[in-house]
Amino acid sequence: MTAVIVKALADLRRRRLQAGVIFVTVLLSIAAGTMAVTLMSQTRDPYQAAFQAQKGAHLQVAYKAGTDPRLLSTTPAAIGATAFGGPYPVSTIQFKFKEQKFFVDAVGRDNPLGDVEVLNITSGRWAQANDEIVLTRSFADLHGISIGDRVKVTSVAQTPLLSVVGEVVDIDEGSADLSSQRAWVQAAAIPSLTSPDSSYYLMDYRFAADPTRAQLQGYTDRLRAALPAGSITGSLNYILIRNIFNITNQILTGVLSAFSIFALAATLAIVATLVTGIVISAYREIGIMKAIGFMPAEVVGVFALQIVIPALAACMLGIPLGTIVSQPLLANSSHALGLSYTPSFSIGMDLMILAAGLLVVAIAATLPALRAGLLKPIAAIAKASAPRGAGGRLLRTSAARAHLPRPVVLGIGDALARPLRAVLTLVTVLLGVATVVVAVGLPRSFLLINNSATGAGNYQVVVTRTSAYPDSEVMRVLKAQPETARVVAIGGQNITVPGVLDPVNTRLYRGDSSRLGFLVIAGRWFSAPGEVLAPAALLRDAHLKIGDSFTGSTDGQVLQLRVVGETYDINNFGHSLFMDLATMASTKPAIEPYMYDVTLASGADVAAYVHRVAAVQPDLIDVHASDTSIITPVQIIDLVLLVIAGVLALIGIGGVFNTLLLNTRERIRDTATLKALGMSPRQVMAMVTASAAFLALIGGVVAMPVGLYLHHVLNDVISNSAGNDTPPAAYAVFNAYELVLIPLLAVAVASVAALVPGRWAARTNVVEVLHAE
Amino acid sequence: MIDLVRLTDVNKVYQGGITGALNGVSISVEKGEFAAIMGPSGSGKSTMLNLIAGLDRPTSGTITVGGTDLAKLSEGGLARFRRDTIGFVFQFFYLLSNLTALENVLIPAQLKGGDAKAHARDLLDKLGIKEVADKYPARLSGGQQQRVAIARALINNPMLLLADEPTGALDTHSGDQVMELLGGLHRDGQTILLVTHDAKLATRNAARVLSVVDGRIVDDARLESPERAASEVIRVRSEETSR
Repeated sequence: MTAVIVKALADLRRRRLQAGVIFVTVLLSIAAGTMAVTLMSQTRDPYQAAFQAQKGAHLQVAYKAGTDPRLLSTTPAAIGATAFGGPYPVSTIQFKFKEQKFFVDAVGRDNPLGDVEVLNITSGRWAQANDEIVLTRSFADLHGISIGDRVKVTSVAQTPLLSVVGEVVDIDEGSADLSSQRAWVQAAAIPSLTSPDSSYYLMDYRFAADPTRAQLQGYTDRLRAALPAGSITGSLNYILIRNIFNITNQILTGVLSAFSIFALAATLAIVATLVTGIVISAYREIGIMKAIGFMPAEVVGVFALQIVIPALAACMLGIPLGTIVSQPLLANSSHALGLSYTPSFSIGMDLMILAAGLLVVAIAATLPALRAGLLKPIAAIAKASAPRGAGGRLLRTSAARAHLPRPVVLGIGDALARPLRAVLTLVTVLLGVATVVVAVGLPRSFLLINNSATGAGNYQVVVTRTSAYPDSEVMRVLKAQPETARVVAIGGQNITVPGVLDPVNTRLYRGDSSRLGFLVIAGRWFSAPGEVLAPAALLRDAHLKIGDSFTGSTDGQVLQLRVVGETYDINNFGHSLFMDLATMASTKPAIEPYMYDVTLASGADVAAYVHRVAAVQPDLIDVHASDTSIITPVQIIDLVLLVIAGVLALIGIGGVFNTLLLNTRERIRDTATLKALGMSPRQVMAMVTASAAFLALIGGVVAMPVGLYLHHVLNDVISNSAGNDTPPAAYAVFNAYELVLIPLLAVAVASVAALVPGRWAARTNVVEVLHAE
Repeated sequence: MIDLVRLTDVNKVYQGGITGALNGVSISVEKGEFAAIMGPSGSGKSTMLNLIAGLDRPTSGTITVGGTDLAKLSEGGLARFRRDTIGFVFQFFYLLSNLTALENVLIPAQLKGGDAKAHARDLLDKLGIKEVADKYPARLSGGQQQRVAIARALINNPMLLLADEPTGALDTHSGDQVMELLGGLHRDGQTILLVTHDAKLATRNAARVLSVVDGRIVDDARLESPERAASEVIRVRSEETSR
């Protein structure tokens, strides 16, 4: 055994560069894999821990303001809830901080504790007076509001000032960048903050065990049946909130897991290529080893160890690295849940990754090394290296017919001289290029979807009014501005849809909403009252398809609706409806829009427009330029994709580099002969570069459809996880020239990777090489 | 007569070598000559051939071939020089195993940028191996491989053909055939420098034999007849070896 280790270590010293390639590729793939596994195993824990610690509500139901609170007190027993909170009076308020205005649901609650929905105060204290307010920490962080700041409530005529006295984490709502937020005041403060049609009662319910979606559906159905029609105006369940908390990490773990497998596959291809190459070039040495007494298994061990030793070193570094890199994401989850962050990892899991990583690498190294073990000593000594066939002849002939320079022809032929090596190299290139395609495409798809959601290019200004400022006045002000080209007014209402657990948030439009840039996935935009569009999740849950009619209800009144199209909307994971305001006005004539998307004439000064309109009524309307920036979770996913693409591209480059190194070393005598025949150093470089470029070109060309397919699949996975189908436009984010440019970039990068082995070959000392023969 | 090759006080010391591989060698070879460089193993004869081919550079001294001072050429320049001026035949043939015989022959012409397929086929025909044109080296006998190597060396019509132990890896019959070929080429006007340790081989076709021992030219015999030549050279060699 000592002899095996001594020989393996001696060979490692001699093959430092190749050991370096193994070290780097294993390091990158094992770090990515560790990150994926750590995120996957540790993500769910913080939410579960916080949900238990804060006695999260399994079901939250909003009841119409006029409902009798005593009646509401009987509802927990009606559905078998083991604990409940409320009824809490709630009023939707708008407040102003500095120049920004915000909508929150102000909950009248005198105590942050209780049997359900314990509010975790992360700084400050609970509200004790009627002029005090408590905000969620994610909301305060997002908008830069601190304890001690004063906010002005602009949704009521008195415009009272409230002091921010505390920040809390509420386990029963999503983070501020993904969902609407609550704030808390003393219950006695609610009447003075309430404007017409802006209040409701909130009840929190908790059950002995985590209910399923179907059970939750049953509970809401029972509540509807037990109360007067129209009493329930909205509801929210813990599954949805948990998904909101976890979606970023879920997408990240999905993406990371998929690409970790890619990275590992590419690494294994490199390992197999390398060991095969070493065995091929070391025939004589294998023969000598056997002649002096090495057993076949020991010969195999020598070759496998040369790979396993750098792989072990890479794992020892890569596993802690992957664990460390995943911590900021886990810390982010903990922070959002109000939990104190403690580094989260599992030593057992890390040891499993180490064992699995090494096992897979060892297998990839041992299989080609078996060839060395099976060689007959005399034959091995006599041959010096493995015989080579006529691989690449067809290619050479084709290249020669294309009148390419001879060094290029020879290089292209060399690329496929060893078919297995070529195939394994192509695998690494393919995976690298395909990942780059995904990393380029997905952020564009996200941007496209983001633009549709934020109206980028379709409207420039968003105006929000409080109920104290009438719709007609807003329209008069906007129409009076010469730059106003188009105004689409938007209202909102919850509608109960048969088969859907929670009342569905419905957006109601007045004006030409078809030009707001919404993505229509199938069917068409609504054009008449009664017509609606919905995302895939709602259509699926309600068993609806385009052309179907259904009966919705709101406040106890019935609405006849017909689905005319499927659209994209991630709010509430695809549970929303889009329709004309007139559809709702038929049953609720008093309904009015509260938000206005304003399209300005070309060349208009947006800032000046915002400033001028806001000055008309500083307190009662909020005017701001449309925020088209990409939300943080998507930015994180984009960044991770970029890093993964970098990792896979590096592994791909490592694969090409490794193959060229093996090829040039194996062909050293041929190169010396060619130099003796008059091949110049530049021509030698051209020959090696042509080899690399050809492999990259083939790998790149094959990788394009693979990458596009992966982009398609990942788009679907991500859209589906947010309750939507992928808009066709999100697939088609590549220009024709990019489809050509990406493989060419791979060729360029591979050519750069060829510089080292190319230069090495070009500097071949003819006399030394041929003398050594 | 015109000097095609001229070595003036050429020394070559390899890194770590205590004594030089070549020590103050000065010779000239005229155009159209068939000269043999003879000597025991390690005497420096192959080093001399490598220096003349521009495969290696001397430690000191000058080498001119066809009027070109090789010291003034860059690596690229030396490659062009080899491609245009020199034809090299190796002991172990050094055919590229993944190319056919015809492709091997064509390589130097293609490196030069030309298309010499007809010329290559002519050469193969002339050397009696046209039937192996499309075969890979592994399918050829040693003699056939060396003929292919000679054809490859001649494809660019070199001024100077260098042959380093061209029969060293061949059986007697094949070796004789190769030497016949070289003799024929010389009769057609080809300048040839042959390195060998076999005195009989050296004297069979060469009109001049340079004997090298320990990196020095110890004899430069211009032979009048083959019979005399052989005895003359063998005498010189045995004297040098017994010293």
